[in-house]
Amino acid sequence: MYEVRFHGRGGQGAVMAAQSLADAAFIEGNYAVAFPYFGAERRGAPVLAFARVDANKIYRKTQIYKPDYVIVLDDKLIDLINVAEGLSKDGMAILNSTKKPEEIQLENEVRTATVDATTIALDVLGVPITNSVMLGAFAKATGLVKIESIEKGIMDIFGARIGERIAKKNAKAARTAYERTAIGTCKGGRIFKKEKKWLPTYKELPLGLATRAMKTDAGLVGPGSFVENKTGSWRTFKPIIDKEKCIECLFCWFYCPEGCISRTSNGLKIDYDYCKGCGICANECPANAIEMVR
Amino acid sequence: MSLKIKDLPEENLFTKGHTACPGCGGAIMAKIAMKVFGKNTCAYFPANCLLVFGGTYPLNAFKVPYLHVLFENSAVCAAGIKRALNKLGKEDVNVVAFAGDGGTADIGIQALSGAAERNEDIIYICYDNEAYMNTGIQRSGSTPFGAWTTTTPVGSKIAGKERFKKDVPRIMIAHDVPYVATASISYPLDLLKKLEKVKNMKGFRYLQIFAPCPTGWRLDPSKTVEIGKLAVESGMWTLYEFENGKMTINKKPKMIPVREYLKPQGRFRHLTDEQIDILQELVKKKWERDLAMAESTH
Amino acid sequence: MMRMVTGNYAVAYGALLSRVDLIAAYPITPQTFIVEHASEFVNDGLLDAEFMRVESEHSAMSACVAASATGVRAFTATASQGLALMHEVLFIAGAGHLPIVMPVVNRTVASPIGIWAEHNDTMPQRDTGWMQVYCEDNQEVLDMVIQAYKIAENKKVLLPIMVNLDAFILSHTVEPVNFPEQSKVDKFLPRYKPEHVHLSPDDPMTVGSFAPPEYIQEVRYQTEESMLNAKKVIQEVNDEFAKMFGRNYHGMVEEYRTEGADAILVTIGTVTSTAREVIDEYRAKGKKVGLVKLRFFRPFPIEQFIDIAKRTKAIGVYDRSISFGSGGPSFIEVKSAIYGHTSIPMINFLAGLGGRDVMSDDIELMLDKTLEAAKTGKVEKDVVWIGTRGVTP
Repeated sequence: MYEVRFHGRGGQGAVMAAQSLADAAFIEGNYAVAFPYFGAERRGAPVLAFARVDANKIYRKTQIYKPDYVIVLDDKLIDLINVAEGLSKDGMAILNSTKKPEEIQLENEVRTATVDATTIALDVLGVPITNSVMLGAFAKATGLVKIESIEKGIMDIFGARIGERIAKKNAKAARTAYERTAIGTCKGGRIFKKEKKWLPTYKELPLGLATRAMKTDAGLVGPGSFVENKTGSWRTFKPIIDKEKCIECLFCWFYCPEGCISRTSNGLKIDYDYCKGCGICANECPANAIEMVR
Repeated sequence: MSLKIKDLPEENLFTKGHTACPGCGGAIMAKIAMKVFGKNTCAYFPANCLLVFGGTYPLNAFKVPYLHVLFENSAVCAAGIKRALNKLGKEDVNVVAFAGDGGTADIGIQALSGAAERNEDIIYICYDNEAYMNTGIQRSGSTPFGAWTTTTPVGSKIAGKERFKKDVPRIMIAHDVPYVATASISYPLDLLKKLEKVKNMKGFRYLQIFAPCPTGWRLDPSKTVEIGKLAVESGMWTLYEFENGKMTINKKPKMIPVREYLKPQGRFRHLTDEQIDILQELVKKKWERDLAMAESTH
Repeated sequence: MMRMVTGNYAVAYGALLSRVDLIAAYPITPQTFIVEHASEFVNDGLLDAEFMRVESEHSAMSACVAASATGVRAFTATASQGLALMHEVLFIAGAGHLPIVMPVVNRTVASPIGIWAEHNDTMPQRDTGWMQVYCEDNQEVLDMVIQAYKIAENKKVLLPIMVNLDAFILSHTVEPVNFPEQSKVDKFLPRYKPEHVHLSPDDPMTVGSFAPPEYIQEVRYQTEESMLNAKKVIQEVNDEFAKMFGRNYHGMVEEYRTEGADAILVTIGTVTSTAREVIDEYRAKGKKVGLVKLRFFRPFPIEQFIDIAKRTKAIGVYDRSISFGSGGPSFIEVKSAIYGHTSIPMINFLAGLGGRDVMSDDIELMLDKTLEAAKTGKVEKDVVWIGTRGVTP
């Protein structure tokens, strides 16, 4: 049996990728399962998906903690979270990156494959959605499934969900990635700060979860504590305010869904720790003082 | 003096760090409403996007007292809070329910109607994004004609929703409550005026705020506010208020072709000319009906 | 002061004496008189409470949950379909630790639609985190409404509770009831001042947040611990009440003439009263039988039944509802409670479903069969249907 963990963001189709891989493995006569991380998904938020493949029926129903392979759909996630957490020493990381495997640093030195999936997605699909692309890289890097099976898996899963025409494009994107994937070994020794979680005993936990604002070792909890959750990494495009042009009409301040634009004595200021890059501020600015940049 | 954007406080009682999709109209609604209502507010949330992106235990974006019980009972839960506060001598606290359109037009309408009929002293906000977005874009009674959702898929036999949007504000007007109004996140001054009004009134107050959902509408997230303006200009959404038995239109639509409104949205991409004609006709009729009511009550 | 009142009046007066802050209710036969009497108390200025005359039971329970979470003493009452409609809201009160008191006039749940006594309305609610007590007469009904608040609001418990009374047999029957003085009740039951939950802008709390699996199992354990704590609190409150008002209900169960009994019958609800008479007759004839009145179904008196089972040779359990495909709920619970402690035979008796009268003859049959089991050490049938046409008991 081999186990695969997908890292992506809400809206990037990590679950569809996991399903397509399982479908491809199934086509080749294996037993395979694919499942999402059991949680609420929002567009842009980091998410997980999983796939398990074996020659025989799979009974294990847990999520995957020690994957043989990790597939990372979003290039920014590599610097944000420890994507290689629990990754088997003999395993492999398959990453969306413009870098060569040797230029990548992860927690441990492991076999690594890289492909510039975002560019391929933009070229072939016209959108920066890399789920199908990364499956081509997986086929090349591991040799566990044939690229033809991957293409068929994509046609099955994507075809049913978003139509044959787009499924074909995705299959093509996977094939392109298959041809461009670089294989090597990454550097190890990268240290990730372990995210602290507040896990009190039932006695310490507020009765029935009726919770006041309070400070724990893992940060704030209760009313107003969402400031602990920095959402800036969701962003693809970044708004830049041109102070010369800004007329301080406050439309951006009013409309920003995050509430991350503030009025200061020095004009309007964007808190990039939270800005998700939606672009409403730039779109609504009557003075054209905000530009969205990559 | 009516409330201006610059008069709003800097502090957000609905804080950044929430997990709404980029460009979420509901998040804009929540942020602005809380700026107007202020700290002396208790807020109720049914099961909806706002409940989830506004808080996942132990984190929460709301700095004010916050309650969730279930999906279909927003109006009565808000009323229960208000009555209890009255009993405790805290009559001055604003109690507001933030429900979505499915939680209002469909599953929540019984409790809503009951609370309105009893004239419970609460503010009920329906933020309308025209489908069940929290569960993944399923049609609600508030979904407009023709729209694609995951339960009104574009099939070879039937394409999109076959019925027009349920007119909940009209149903609320029929309850003869002190205040019923429609608003939009895209019209700041009109929105602020109405939020301030409901804050300072007594009795049952119903405010339906048009809050586009780029994820569910298959829309570029930067266009959330822009599409809200097109909705009003095309007559798809009318801004009005009903007070003391009188209905006043706050913004007369330019009646630009609905096609202009539909174009940027993926959820309408499949519409045939024939379907667009039907929708155009429905919009015209709705506008005439709203106008007739406004004229007849003055 | 003694007054001739119905069970429904006793309920309403119990709420009045408990000085409830908020009532939210919706009428349903045979509970209607509770809502009517409470309306009169409020409209006549006898009870200073917010009264929400809501449009459904679902809203009644929702309002109680919201009000209790805000920090006041909440009250409602219902029956049958009304309780079924409340079902999903009940869980919120249990997990949320909201000490709401709800009398339930036990009535059959459709289909077919009927209005008479059956426990198939409350029994399906046993896993919602609510305590349940079943009453035998109108005095007990009134006393238990007051005790219910005291138990529910105890800091070690903080759980909602149903006070159950059989449709018509109690709800519409007048009998003498001793009305305690308000000043004494006030002393017994002080004002409710919650610390664990409230909705107040000067001390904001997040209540009812969406929660991931990392937290929910602990919340489940909190409810379980409260339920277990309640066992002791129920006895303490019972004893304090007995001392102050002179009426003792003996806590979780009441034993009646169980000393040296070869066969013990366990009853729930009003059948207990008729059974007392039959037990007396049997004892007069020298037959060694005893009675256990099952009062609290949640928490369940496990320890008491282990003790009782060790002192007798056979146990019969009467149920006024059935868990289809298994047996009566009380029977299942008693059997599970004593497992491993004794191997005496047990029989389940089903009678009075849909409100059919349970007669002395029926109870005699129950006692005879239990005595027979005590003698032979075995039973022919685990679950015995009494008075069902075409079914041999």
